[in-house]
Amino acid sequence: MLKAILKEAWISITSYKLRTFLTMLGILIGVAAVVMMVSAGQAVQLHITKSFSSMGSNRIFISPAELVTGGVRGARGLPSVTVDDVKALKELKGVKAASYEGRTAVQVVYGSNNYGTSVYGTNPDILEVNNSEIEDGVMFTQKDVKSARPYAVIGQTMVNELFGLQNPIGKTIRLKGQPFKVIGTVKEQGDGLFGNDMDNFIYIPYTTLRQRLAGSDRPQYVNMAYVVAKSEQEIDAVSKRIEYLLRARHRLKEGEKNDFQIRPMTDFINKVRNVGFVLSMLLAVIASISLIVGSIGIMNMMLVSVTERTREIGTRKALGAPNNWIMTQFLAESILISFIGSFIGMILGIIISQLAGTILGYEVPISIWAVVVSVSVAIIVGIVSGLMPALKAMRLNPIDALRYQ
Amino acid sequence: MRKTPVIEVKNLYKTYFMEGGNSQLVLKNINFKINEGEFVAIMGPSGSGKSTLMNILGCLDKPTKGSYVLDGYDIENKNDIELAKIRGQKIGFVFQNFNLMMKRTIADNVSLPLVYQNIKEKERYKRALQMLKKVGLLGYQKRPPSQISGGMQQRVAIARALVNNPSIIFADEPTGNLDSKTSDEIMELFTELNKQGITIVLVTHEDDVANYATRMIKISDGCKVYDGLRKDYSKEKETKC
Ligand SMILES: Nc1ncnc2c1ncn2[C@@H]1O[C@H](COP(=O)(O)OP(=O)(O)OP(=O)(O)O)[C@@H](O)[C@H]1O
Ligand SMILES: [Mg+2]
Repeated sequence: MLKAILKEAWISITSYKLRTFLTMLGILIGVAAVVMMVSAGQAVQLHITKSFSSMGSNRIFISPAELVTGGVRGARGLPSVTVDDVKALKELKGVKAASYEGRTAVQVVYGSNNYGTSVYGTNPDILEVNNSEIEDGVMFTQKDVKSARPYAVIGQTMVNELFGLQNPIGKTIRLKGQPFKVIGTVKEQGDGLFGNDMDNFIYIPYTTLRQRLAGSDRPQYVNMAYVVAKSEQEIDAVSKRIEYLLRARHRLKEGEKNDFQIRPMTDFINKVRNVGFVLSMLLAVIASISLIVGSIGIMNMMLVSVTERTREIGTRKALGAPNNWIMTQFLAESILISFIGSFIGMILGIIISQLAGTILGYEVPISIWAVVVSVSVAIIVGIVSGLMPALKAMRLNPIDALRYQ
Repeated sequence: MRKTPVIEVKNLYKTYFMEGGNSQLVLKNINFKINEGEFVAIMGPSGSGKSTLMNILGCLDKPTKGSYVLDGYDIENKNDIELAKIRGQKIGFVFQNFNLMMKRTIADNVSLPLVYQNIKEKERYKRALQMLKKVGLLGYQKRPPSQISGGMQQRVAIARALVNNPSIIFADEPTGNLDSKTSDEIMELFTELNKQGITIVLVTHEDDVANYATRMIKISDGCKVYDGLRKDYSKEKETKC
């Protein structure tokens, strides 16, 4: 019986091809819009996640605890993590690298060239932390840190701005009037997530920074420490170990709050992922307004169709069609229209978003979501928009329907 | 011929209730039987209640009062679903304006009643061809009805009325939209079918058309005023309403 009903419905909707197509258009555009919006949102999410991952998703940040005043979170507290703490962290199980930084902004001078940059006082592990590698020359060593050597390892922006086509290795640059010998350059990192220049930096040994460029009355204390876990899976375990170790080293008693805070990179990534998800959903909701418009279109067409086909309905009833048959047929017609419309819309949405991704150079995922959404929307829209006309058809009195001109 | 009643109408009344509380008594105390194999013409002036009677006989409407038994089924206590089933299995309809589906093939039109009997497509097509042969239209099955003349369209409608092997065929003014020559052809087809044993009840107000029938029932003002052989009818034999 269902097969026969579907066939009747199919013949009916294909009898008025242009009208059926125009009716379909609303739902088609609606679903295509939803698919494209969801894909766009997911593409953004993917892009952001990838950018973060390329920076190293198994990084853990350790910073001074936030000051809490009257329940309001505020500025960071005083530095509490020391260079020796970081050395101890490096020995923990599951830790691949541990680094720290002190930072100062300087105008770097080479010959007649000068350029504004950030100088990071750090240790050799900073390369591991930033997921970067040496291009030319070498990184300074732990020994260089110990003896506070005036060595500099520079990013590609520095290379281009100060040296042009010259080889920078072995050249002397000046930071705040102090001479530093360039012993290495770091491979190009490209633009950051927000379009910031990731190659504009100079690494020098931490001790050198404190002694020559940015003195401090507590030089052992660092503003920020970084730990790289051996894998993303170990992040939680490593974070726990860090907390345990630091509490012991800082002699914190039970019940006392941490004077540092540990934030794994995965936290950031998850936050950004959530934002991306919310964005996707928001876009999908906006796009689904066009679905509502589309379903009103179907309802409108079906109502017209029922009126137009009043005599046909009367004839069918006279020839033995039960009421539920008539209702199901009209319902099947609207479901078919919305189903086909949303199927084409889905394909179209996928094609357009893939095309846009290729042109704009972003990877656009094909979303299972989009498929699920469009199929279920098709069925729901078909039922909702077809129900009223179908009931109208069902309730027609055959005598009146046969007399209808 | 064996004489079993296909239709038995007793003390039948029909009142139309209109919006605003008005009502109109359209059929008054109608009684008759129609036996298997009869060919009956229902006549009467316009507005006398012929179509109303036909709708009740065709199970499209229910009497306000009285009983109606069709082929042994008492119609009185049947619901909509059961009435649809009876229409589909026992009754064939022929309409004044044919009521064919213009976007479908002639075969599809003829076999439509079988769709509602859950008969398989192949079998439906086979039966449609048999019926088209009966009405002399074999060869037209693949065409749409819009390509054939009115008389041929009415033949298609008759084939459709026959396809479910009904106990009786009801035709409300089947020649109303046809010229006299085509009308004669259609009436000859009905006569032919009646000779094969099919019971036919038709409504007409044309004497020429009624002459093909053997029996005549005349309705006037909602009352049955004549019921007898068509050839015996004369105005004087009518009873008062
Ligand atoms: N659905 C209805 N509601 C109210 N009144 C109706 C309805 N159908 C018919 N009538 C009235 O009942 C009366 C009989 O109508 P009916 O259609 O049965 O006449 P008829 O004999 O078939 O006439 P005609 O020869 O013109 O077809 C008319 O007065 C008509 O106005
Ligand atoms: Mg009438």
